[in-house]
Formats: sequence, C-alpha cells, structure tokens
Amino acid sequence: MEGVYFNIDNGFVEGVVRGYRNGLLTNNQYINLTQCDTLEDLKLQLSSTDYSNFLSSVATENLTTTIIQTFLSDKLFNEFNYIKDQTSGITKKFMDYITYGYMIDNVALMITGTIHERNKAEILQRCHPLGWFDTLPTLTVATDLQSLYDTVLIDTPLAPYFLDCFDNADELDDLNIEIIKNKLYKAYLQDFNNFVTEKLPAPANEIMSELLAFEADRRSINISLNSLQSDDIDSNLKRQLLPEFGKLYPIETNRLIEANDFELIRTAINNVQEYKGILDSGNLDDHFYKIEMDLCRDAFTQQFSVSVIWAWMKSKEQEIRNITWIAECIAQNQRERINNYISVY
Amino acid sequence: MSGNREQVFPTRMTLGVMKTKLKGANQGYSLLKRKSEALTKRFRDITKRIDDAKQKMGRVMQTAAFSLAEVQYATGENIGYQVQESVSNARFKVKARQENVSGVYLPQFESYIESEINDFKLTGLGRGGQQVQRAKEIYSKAVETLVELASLQTAFIILDEVIKVTNRRVNAIEHVIIPRTKNTIDYINSELDELDREEFYRLKKVQEKKQIETERLDAEMKLKREQMEKEEAEKGINKTTSSAQPATDLVADQEDDVIF
Amino acid sequence: MAEKRNLIAVIADEDTTTGLLLAGIGQITPETQEKNFFVYHEGKSSKEEILKAFQDFTETRDDIAILLINQHIAEHIRNSVDNYTNAFPAILEIPSKDHPYDPEKDSVLKRVRRLFGE
Repeated sequence: MEGVYFNIDNGFVEGVVRGYRNGLLTNNQYINLTQCDTLEDLKLQLSSTDYSNFLSSVATENLTTTIIQTFLSDKLFNEFNYIKDQTSGITKKFMDYITYGYMIDNVALMITGTIHERNKAEILQRCHPLGWFDTLPTLTVATDLQSLYDTVLIDTPLAPYFLDCFDNADELDDLNIEIIKNKLYKAYLQDFNNFVTEKLPAPANEIMSELLAFEADRRSINISLNSLQSDDIDSNLKRQLLPEFGKLYPIETNRLIEANDFELIRTAINNVQEYKGILDSGNLDDHFYKIEMDLCRDAFTQQFSVSVIWAWMKSKEQEIRNITWIAECIAQNQRERINNYISVY
Repeated sequence: MSGNREQVFPTRMTLGVMKTKLKGANQGYSLLKRKSEALTKRFRDITKRIDDAKQKMGRVMQTAAFSLAEVQYATGENIGYQVQESVSNARFKVKARQENVSGVYLPQFESYIESEINDFKLTGLGRGGQQVQRAKEIYSKAVETLVELASLQTAFIILDEVIKVTNRRVNAIEHVIIPRTKNTIDYINSELDELDREEFYRLKKVQEKKQIETERLDAEMKLKREQMEKEEAEKGINKTTSSAQPATDLVADQEDDVIF
Repeated sequence: MAEKRNLIAVIADEDTTTGLLLAGIGQITPETQEKNFFVYHEGKSSKEEILKAFQDFTETRDDIAILLINQHIAEHIRNSVDNYTNAFPAILEIPSKDHPYDPEKDSVLKRVRRLFGE
C-alpha cells in the first residue's frame, strides 16, 4: 500500500533519477576509457556517453585532469539542482539533508581560511557548490566559535549540530576545526538517520538507514584508524566523534573507542559480518567504495523510494572519482594501476 | 718579444730573482694543474650523478604526484587548500655540512625530520587518512631525493666556479707568467751580453787608441832617430838608414798580434 | 653562513605544493606570517608575482637552503633562473603533474651540457 501515493509527488523525480542512473557509465564503457592513450581520446570516448558534448569547448592542449573533474562535477551539480527543484515536502527536506554534509565541509573550510586571514573570494571559490548557503560569505567575520554561532550559524540548518561542540573550543585552531568538523558530521549523520527512519515512508526509510549506517560505520572505522597516530585524540574525545548508530554500534563502537592499536581495531571490525576482513588486504578506502557502490546498486532495485536520489548521487560521485582516476592514470602514465576504479553497473 | 716582459734593470741580481720566480711559477703551475685535474675529475663525476639524479627525480616526482591522485580519489576532494592552511612549522628541514675536496669546501645538504612537529595529523581523519599518510611518506622520500640532488647541484656550481678560477690561474701561469718571466730572463741575458759586447768593444777601442798612440810615439821616435841619423850622417856618412826601416815594420806586426 | 639556512622553499602549482607540504617542508614564520611556499595558479598568477616570490626566496630571505621550482613556472622567469649562479640557496627545477620533466630546459643541465660542449 505504501507505494500507492508515491507517484503523486515523487513519480517524476524518481523517473528522472532512474533516467540519470541509466546514464551512469557501464563496465564496458569503463573498459573503453581505460584503453585511451591520451586525454583527448578520453574526451572523445566520453562524448559517446551521457556526457555527450562534454568538454567540447576545451582545447586539447588545455585538457587536464583538474578541468575534466570540474566539468564532471558541474554536470552532477546541475542535475542535482534540477531534481531538487522538482521536489516538495518531505522529499525536498530529504534533499536538503543531503546538502548539509557539504555545508559542514564548507563551514570548516571557511573557518580555516578565516583563521589564516586568507582572501575571502578565494576561499568561497573552493567551497562545494552543493553546500552553499546565503550566509556562507559572512562566516569570515567570526573569530571564535561562540560569535560564529551567534551571528551566522544560528540561522542555518546546521545550528543544532553546533550545540554539541561548545564545551572546549574558545579559540579556533586547526586541530579544533578538524575535530569540530567530525563532531558536526556525527551530529549530522545521527540527525539524518532520525529523519530518515521517522519521516520517510517505507521502503525509503529502510534503504536509507542501511546506506546511512554504512556511512556512519565508515566514519567510525576511519576515525579510529587515523587517530592511532595522533596523541591528541583520547578515547573521551573519540567517543564524541564516532556516530552512535550503524552496524558497529553499540558494542563494536565501544571497542573502537577503547582500541589503541591496530589489532584491537581489526578484531572489533571483524566481528561485524559486513566488514569482515576489510583491513586484512588491499586498500581500505577501495573496500569501502566497493561496499558503498554495491549498496547503491541494490538501492535501485526498490521502487517507490526517494533513496534512489542518494544512491544515484553517490554513484555519480564515484563515477567522477573513477573518471578522474583513469584520466590521472593516463596523464601520468601509470597504466598498471588504471583498473583500480570501481564499477558496478 | 721584448714588449712582454717585466720592467726591470737588467742586472745579474735581477736575473737571479727572475730565475727563482720562474722556478716557482713552474712549480705552482704543476701543482695547480694537478688540483684542477682532481677537481675536474670530481666535477665530471658530479655532473654525471646530477644527470642521473635528475632523471631519477622525474620518476620519483611522478610517483609522488600519483600518490596525491590516490589521496584525491580516496577523499573525493582536493585537500590542497586544507593542507596549505594547516601549515605552521616545518617538519622537514635541511642542514648544510661541508666536505673538503682538494681544498674546496663543498656544502652537503642533509635532511632531518623534526618528528614532534606534525601539522597534518588530522587531515583526512574522517576519510582517506591512510592515503594521506602514504602520500606523506612518499613525498618525504621524494624530498629526500630532491635534497640529495640539491647537494650535487650546489657542489656543481661551487666546483664550476673553483675550477674556472683554478683554470684561469693555470692558464695565467702557463701563458702569461711563465713566458713573461722567460722573456725577462732572455732580455736580461741579452742585455748582459750586450753589456759584455760593449765592454769588449770599449776595450778594443782603448786598444786601438793605445795603438794609434803607440804608432804616433813610434813615428815620433823614428822621426827623432832619423833626425839624429841625419845629424849623424851629416856628421859622417849614410851608414845606418837601411837598418832603421825594417825595425818599424816589425813593431806593426806585433800590434796586429795583440788585436787577434 | 649556511648554518642558518635550513628551510626548503617552493614555487609550484597547487598539487606539487600540496605534496611537498605534506612531506612537511612548509613553514609560516610566526613573527611575519611569511610563507615559504608560493602557489602558482595557471593563468592567474602573473610573471611579476612569480618573480617577486623568486627574489624573495633567493635574495631577501636568509633562512632558505633549497628552492624548488616547477619547471614550467621557471620557464616564465627563465632569464632570472638562468642568470642565477649563487650556491645558496640551491635552485632545483622539478617536474609537475601535468608537465613532465624536460632536461633540455633545466638551467643547470644546460650549463652541464655547455661545459662539455655537447
């Protein structure tokens, strides 16, 4: 029954997104891309895909991986914004939630730039377009977190997340910013998860909480591993950084918090079926991307769900990473690694 | 030839000084030549190593650049800005040590890491931290290669300069000082010879004068004698006139002998 | 004189700079907020800016032992680089991601070749 009314509000959006999904590069297309000898070839190959007249305005000699990446990303942003404009109500809220993650990045970036008194325009240029909000430029006036919150952030959707971060940061410095960013991210993921489970109709809530659980676990594992080298993060602080949901939570999360060497982390992670053996071989990030892509692909199998938007979004981001990677391999003549991309479609 | 010589008085003493100088110059020349050869050998060695190292650098930097691409792949964003903003203190530093090659001090850069400084420990905390760590290591290695190369290159520049100076000196000694000293010696020698000849000529002149004087005296004496003989003849008969003539001829022959 | 020089300075594009900074060569002098790296933006950084950074690192500052410069950036100020003959700081031309290393252009290697009459 839950799917009955879905198409009234979201039918068009889902259709569009599924259309976009079909535009994602397939295995064969990736293989074609890896056969390219130059970036010019790559451009040509891409023009026969969904990227049609991709980069046609860029001259061959100016073709760099950075430019390719920018163009790819721009296309994603345009498509995302187009979809967003077609949505209303809960679905719009859902898409807003997706952008909050990028907002956090932008806020962190702005604060970093502010501390070092960098040129405002230059920083704004580097902000993620999806995380843009109107008061972003005014962030530069702030010098400490409290005034930052009072003057700017209180009006943004991020305000509730900041409430958690006020205990220890009076003066901003680089360590704090990275910590704040991760605290914000934790708060954001938890809030997103709550929203998804409570507000979204089935089956979107199930699929999304699955995807978000993965997102949370990935953060937990990454933070645990990366904080091994740093003395500044004790288990107390770590507790404030690891999201409190997901497959690892609560038992393994607690173990991760207490773990202070690689072996303990590995034991904790191996206790969860999905992530078993992930640390034993290969590249951790590659494993995660693979899992993420599998989840996204599976997400498309369910109809009447806005979760396809997230799945498409993530797949597209992966696709950009893949193409950038391949372009990078071609440009830098590192062909032996070129097959290191992740393709599931 | 005489234009390229030192302005000296051509005396025997100066000759002695010049000879010492020539000897010194020859010695200096062979020493400098040997130094220059040693340096050039070293120089060629370094040049070759620079050439190799530069090729190696190309590869190393490429690998390093690629590790950055991996970071980008893992984090999904460009960490460049974040990294630039997180910088505060240098962890990777160099110090210059000096190495003595044939009396030339060549600097040798040595890299060292201040391990307590770590500006980027939290970069990629939430994602891609391993890659960042790896990129850090790869780039640290790359910079070590660069530092090595910088040492070679500095040595190259300094050696180049020193060799140029040494060669200039060698050439100066070989082509200027030694010929000049030799010229001076030749000049002094020729001047001294000239003096000798002048002296000889003077002596000869003196002898000539003396001879003329003697001849004059002889003539006078002869005249006197003839007068006396005349007077005697006038007194007696012409008895001794024939014997006086061969006596003058004999004196003239004797004078010739003195000359040669 | 060489004792004080213990920093490595960089004039390079963003990627190269990022990598070198990751290696830990970056330093911002606390008193003056002076950076020992200059990020070149293709098409945006003017020749004057590069030249200024170059002079700053080679002449003004006395704490720099080695200056790394991307070869394609050195091309912009080739004259200054070619005419630079001091031993300290040592200038090293390095490749960048998009511009592989070309020994033909290197100031020092050019000197090497000239010396051996090749």
